[in-house]
Amino acid sequence: MNAKKKFTSTWLLWPALFMLVAFFLIPTLDILRASVYDPEFTTKHFAKLLGSNVYLDVLWRTIRLSVIVALICAVIAYPISYFIVQRPRKQQIFFLFLVFIPLWMSVLIRSYAWMVVLGREGMINALLIGLGFTDEPVKMLFTTGAVYVAMVQILLPIQIVTCYSAMTEIDLDLMRAARILGAKPWQAIRRVFLPLSLDGTVTGAIIVFMLSMGFFITPALVGGRKDIMMANLIEFQVQQLNWGFAAAISIVLLIGTVLCVIIIKRLSKILIRRLVGGGHA
Amino acid sequence: MTKLLKQFAKVAVATLVVAGSANLALAADKEITFSGSGGVVGKVSKEVWWGPYTEATGTKINHVAAEAKRMPQLEAMVKSGNVLWDAMEVSASDYPLGVKKGLFEAIDYSLVDPDNQLPADTREEFGVAYAAYSQVLIVRTDKLPDGKKMESWADFWDVENFPGPRALRGRAEDNLEFALLADGVPAEDIYKVLSTEEGLDRAFAKLDEIKPHITTWWTSGAQSVQLLSDGEVYFCPSYNGRITTLVSSGIPAEIVWNGGAMHKSYIAIPKGTEHLKEATEYVKFRTTSADRMREYVTHLPYPGWAPGLFDGMDPKMAANMPTFPANQKVQFSASAEFWAENLDAIQERWTEWLLQ
Amino acid sequence: MIERDVEFGASVTFDGVSKTYGAVKALSDFNLSIQRGEFVTLLGPSGSGKTTALNVLAGFVDATEGDVRVNKNSILGLPPERRNIGMVFQNYSLFPHMNVFENVAFPLRLRKVAQDEVKRRVGESLAMVQLNDFGDRMPNQLSGGQRQRVAFARAIVFEPSVLLMDEPLGALDLKLREAMQLEIKRYHKQLGCTILFVTHDQGEALALSDRIAVMGEGRIVQIDTPDRIYDEPNSKYVADFIGTTNIVDFERGPSSIIRFPALNAEFELQENDKSWGQGQNSISLRPEKLHRDISPSDHVIIFDASVEEYLFLGNIIQYSVRTTTGKTLLFQEHRGPSVPILARGESLKLAFSINDARPLDEGTHGSGHT
Repeated sequence: MNAKKKFTSTWLLWPALFMLVAFFLIPTLDILRASVYDPEFTTKHFAKLLGSNVYLDVLWRTIRLSVIVALICAVIAYPISYFIVQRPRKQQIFFLFLVFIPLWMSVLIRSYAWMVVLGREGMINALLIGLGFTDEPVKMLFTTGAVYVAMVQILLPIQIVTCYSAMTEIDLDLMRAARILGAKPWQAIRRVFLPLSLDGTVTGAIIVFMLSMGFFITPALVGGRKDIMMANLIEFQVQQLNWGFAAAISIVLLIGTVLCVIIIKRLSKILIRRLVGGGHA
Repeated sequence: MTKLLKQFAKVAVATLVVAGSANLALAADKEITFSGSGGVVGKVSKEVWWGPYTEATGTKINHVAAEAKRMPQLEAMVKSGNVLWDAMEVSASDYPLGVKKGLFEAIDYSLVDPDNQLPADTREEFGVAYAAYSQVLIVRTDKLPDGKKMESWADFWDVENFPGPRALRGRAEDNLEFALLADGVPAEDIYKVLSTEEGLDRAFAKLDEIKPHITTWWTSGAQSVQLLSDGEVYFCPSYNGRITTLVSSGIPAEIVWNGGAMHKSYIAIPKGTEHLKEATEYVKFRTTSADRMREYVTHLPYPGWAPGLFDGMDPKMAANMPTFPANQKVQFSASAEFWAENLDAIQERWTEWLLQ
Repeated sequence: MIERDVEFGASVTFDGVSKTYGAVKALSDFNLSIQRGEFVTLLGPSGSGKTTALNVLAGFVDATEGDVRVNKNSILGLPPERRNIGMVFQNYSLFPHMNVFENVAFPLRLRKVAQDEVKRRVGESLAMVQLNDFGDRMPNQLSGGQRQRVAFARAIVFEPSVLLMDEPLGALDLKLREAMQLEIKRYHKQLGCTILFVTHDQGEALALSDRIAVMGEGRIVQIDTPDRIYDEPNSKYVADFIGTTNIVDFERGPSSIIRFPALNAEFELQENDKSWGQGQNSISLRPEKLHRDISPSDHVIIFDASVEEYLFLGNIIQYSVRTTTGKTLLFQEHRGPSVPILARGESLKLAFSINDARPLDEGTHGSGHT
């Protein structure tokens, strides 16, 4: 019986495993191969990449932008998720539904929508001019700020959902316990709820971070001159059929992403430890 | 004996007849696969080109809407020996790439253009220029200072006399040429100048002047139209065909042909196709049928050089055509070779320059 | 051991407390006075209002009506953290991200107690629950009983005026539960604190409490010491809920005759017993109050029955017997050399004293305070 059960459960994993190997592992290895075999072994792509300021500069900008987007998403999503998780079950579903609605729209359309909102003759400027706050349109579109706004709006639902599902795991009696033991509401949140929900928040932030690292349409549409992402460079090289070089950029992006994820995880662990053991509230 | 011979002859004739009709049937079932633009271009082409082509030759056309990354696809096909396309559209910048990688069949001009009527610069070894589009300056006429008219790249650079937000495309191609034109380099010398280190520096130096006045650096044609129609920018280079979208939605805009970059599109035959004969036939049809092409440009502004194309064309319409002699004269021909050669290095410098 | 603090242990008064959720009355006119140092249990099935009462006292639920006082001071206006009440939750509610020491230190840290004092008091509390060496463990490294003890240590370390325990043993297995009952009794004795205990387990209530308040439909049906609750339930509801009992209907005949139709037996009330069973129509008869060999007397009712089945419970035999009218009753007796086990089908005469039969009220509307 037990053995049979075991067999069934591993068997259920096979399709997923197969998909992972066939559509993720093998292509990734192939990209790795393409970056160093062109057609025989060469390090020229990496040499070129690391020898030029442009690529590392863009990598740094991509990382910085992604970290900031993930941070903003985490900070905004946290109170929203907390609010939802405190609602009765039926209301929770309703609020999650609201959160999900934007996900049904393509990133491209949402990016264009932001152009309409933020533009020179867009909604916000029309309002500002109409109300007499300004005579000249304020420059909002084609700035790094616009990239943050658009990307946060696009990625926020993902952060909320991850954060929310982590919060539902927390026994709300713990908050009661904290209160009766002497904690004011904010102390209960800071010393009990926050440390327990931080893992989920960090997971969400990491997902948002990784998605941001691969973004290119939105920054290209609403961003300024300097909002160039690593993915833009990859796309350009692919169009030029420079497979090897495109692969090398991808590998650098992949390594950069993985390193950043490791660092974020480390930092969050330290942060949680601080919050738990940390001083007297 | 004679009887026997007669019988034999009968059988032979019958066999021939049957075989012949089978051949005919086979001919009628001939089909070539053509990889071309999807969307409106595909829709119009079906009506204007493919239908009439099948009528004329009996060969059907199976259209595969081309994706953005079709060169990588082609390369994969040729390498694997499994060539699914018989003819395809090739952009001017893709053409040299395909040639370099040996992805095309050589064109047999004795079949395509036996009377040598096509302009010499449309007859390439591995492809025939069948249409042109231009990267031209588009101006919002309602945003121009009273009584002024923008006529050149020098005007585009002149932010004193022509104030207002501007955009450029976010790639080095065309922009460096525009910068040199604005700096006074004659059109015929652009690529000679660009090929030198000083010339390149000169182009970037000129771009430095305009850089602070560029609102955004667009990445897709649709975006450039959006920018102009939303009033985000007043002056912006874009594809000549995009003017129609603007004008038809009531946006007062016009093309400055002077200094436009003309890009030819080629039709080519993937190496290793099984239908070389039919594909060549289609290339001839697509490049030299003036009446078809005239009809085509009533729908889409991508004319070619079919002999006699402008005979009897509405002069107003002819004036919007990049290959109309008066327009072609003031434009320069974008050098796909130059860019194929230098794109890598220049684009890197371009990106670095953008980030400064 | 922790020194007795004068404030450690306060009186608690619920004064006409009601709580309604829409149309549902979770608590209606709930009155209860708990003495300083007393161990009172709220006993009842789920939905009887016991947890609501506890939550009103803790400050998690606002009362719709009435007042709650600790040491004569109303606490309804205070948030939970200012009520100085200790609480042990059913699922322990230990903070999973803190080790045992930090869990117990938590209320002290919030009270800004100096580090040395924190160490001393946490040490004392952990010593009391015999977990001195467990300070570094994380909650998920502890057994159920150990978690329970940590929760207890955490609830008393700051010397609360009242200790609330919400089904604290519900998640433990039987053996551990019994051991923990003894522990809790010991803590109570050592600390002398006031404890309000909530459970649906009547055995637990009987074993631990100074007084038990049996709850039903948002009010107290009967409140008394465990022995009197057991011996003298005031209603069918309480009799049914506490221990095992036989409920037997009776009728009032002419001239002080009480008839038990199911037993096919009757009984005449004595002159000074005339008010017996007034307005009531059933009795509770504990199985151990039935006897075989009893000599007839004024107070004894005798009836015929036959053995249907029996359960061997060690030193006790529990019979299920059938009366001549077909009613099934439970009957228990101690085993002994002179008490042979009856066989199935065997007929016998059973008797009980009218003083051991407790007349009952209907439903949950018992006479309240006794």
